[in-house]
Amino acid sequence: MELTVFQIAEGVSRAARAMAGLEQELNAADAKLGDGDTGSMLARVIGAMAASEPQAAGSVSDVFGRLARAGMSATGSSLGTLFASSLLGLSKQTREWERVDWEDLSSLLAAARDGMMARGNAKLGDKTVLDALDAVAAAVAGEVDAEGAARAAREAVDRVILEFRGRPCRMGRAKFFAEKSVGLDDPGMLAFVALTKAVAELPQNAT
Amino acid sequence: MKKLINDPAHYVDEALDGLTLAFPSLARDGAAGRVIRRAEGVTSGKVGIASGGGFGHLPLFTGYVGRGLIDTCSIGNVFEGPNIDSCVDAIRLADGGRGVLRLYGNYGGDRMNFDMAGEVLEDEGIRCTTVLGTDDIASGGPDEIGRRRGVAGLIYAYKAAGASADRGADLEEVTRVAAKAVAATRTIGVGLAPCRLPSAAKPSFELAEDEIEMGIGIHGEPGIWRDRLRPADAIADEMVDRLLADLPAHAGSEVSVLVNGLGATPLEELFILYRRVRKRLDDARLNVFQPLVGNYVTSMEMQGASVSLFHLDEELKTLLCAPAECPFWRVS
Repeated sequence: MELTVFQIAEGVSRAARAMAGLEQELNAADAKLGDGDTGSMLARVIGAMAASEPQAAGSVSDVFGRLARAGMSATGSSLGTLFASSLLGLSKQTREWERVDWEDLSSLLAAARDGMMARGNAKLGDKTVLDALDAVAAAVAGEVDAEGAARAAREAVDRVILEFRGRPCRMGRAKFFAEKSVGLDDPGMLAFVALTKAVAELPQNAT
Repeated sequence: MKKLINDPAHYVDEALDGLTLAFPSLARDGAAGRVIRRAEGVTSGKVGIASGGGFGHLPLFTGYVGRGLIDTCSIGNVFEGPNIDSCVDAIRLADGGRGVLRLYGNYGGDRMNFDMAGEVLEDEGIRCTTVLGTDDIASGGPDEIGRRRGVAGLIYAYKAAGASADRGADLEEVTRVAAKAVAATRTIGVGLAPCRLPSAAKPSFELAEDEIEMGIGIHGEPGIWRDRLRPADAIADEMVDRLLADLPAHAGSEVSVLVNGLGATPLEELFILYRRVRKRLDDARLNVFQPLVGNYVTSMEMQGASVSLFHLDEELKTLLCAPAECPFWRVS
């Protein structure tokens, strides 16, 4: 089944609504390992993305491009910049595509993961947003519609956050005090998990 | 933790409005007004120096825009790197036709955005080089200096590179001088109480009433240890010991020293700290040249201080003495 502009715009809208409740929770998680602003930064970035009228985009490539530009204007933080620049990569990758299907989601997420690794110098296993993205990319492989992808993504993020909780952070500010990060969730990974669950909360049947 | 602000969302822009009104030598420019440049404009034929970083550290970064220092500065939100648009504009506005040195602290967001800005500007033919401030000895061992964060010592690199550019040096030479200044600088900080970001409900970290944190970063990044507060002399001793145990390769017998307040520590306490630091440097037979004591690089209302040593040779000493003027530092 086709992955549509409407579905992506609806996902952004859900993420923006979810941020109202997540902002201070993510700030608090970040305060334990960073400077306590991950939630506020993402609220601003996703708010700017929602305000960029993604539903009016002419194609999936165009909607990714709009979201990337809105995000890049809203922040220069590491996490926000990585997020936005990966969307720009997806926009470029899908520019010539006539249509994007749910079956393509896994490879697109994998490309976003690789782009973020190249830009941010983090590796898989460092306990960052990349590990969560990698888990979702693998989990949605073979899923052909929104419902299947949403279910697989929810299961993957629930699994990955538990899998990494007991490990040390090897990237970002927390890397300087890695042993302290054992038992704590990485704020970027936690944000990705929470937003994935918000976006994938219900099957998206609209086309 | 009370703040004298209006809407947290307008914190940066309202502060920049006030800054430029108070100091007419600074002008706002660029995407969404997030670049500060010298009001007199770019000097044609001079290598430009563009810096940038998150807000919340004034006078760093943007307060050092001025003659003999940096030409432009891109400004992010509080403790966030500057966005790509402001980095592009800061580089463009610094370009006087002989290329631009990007000189900023070693932080992920800043690096990504300045790197992407360079990629955007490749087609415009503006030659760019990069030097990152990496003076914080608490953020990495001597064998991983490239991973260290940039903190208060960055102002010495501004001073040396700015003086070199003012003398008419070319981009390669200004870049060499900046890298040499960074390599000659070591800093360590100590935190007594946290700050709170304007948009956050809680302080950026928690520290018990009687606790201090040695090695803290300027965003509250975890340091080396936390323990009970102790007398200023004992804290100064440990900071100097750590700095002298981490000497640059070609350290000589002369240093400039910066005892810097992180925002909420009174000058009186900084001078108490300096008094002891000076004694220890004298005991180590290090000649102290042009010491600086004050709030040069802050973390909003964080309580604490940092001590930086800038190890001098004749070249760096000459550059440190060269005339420079910005709202927060004047050498004449």
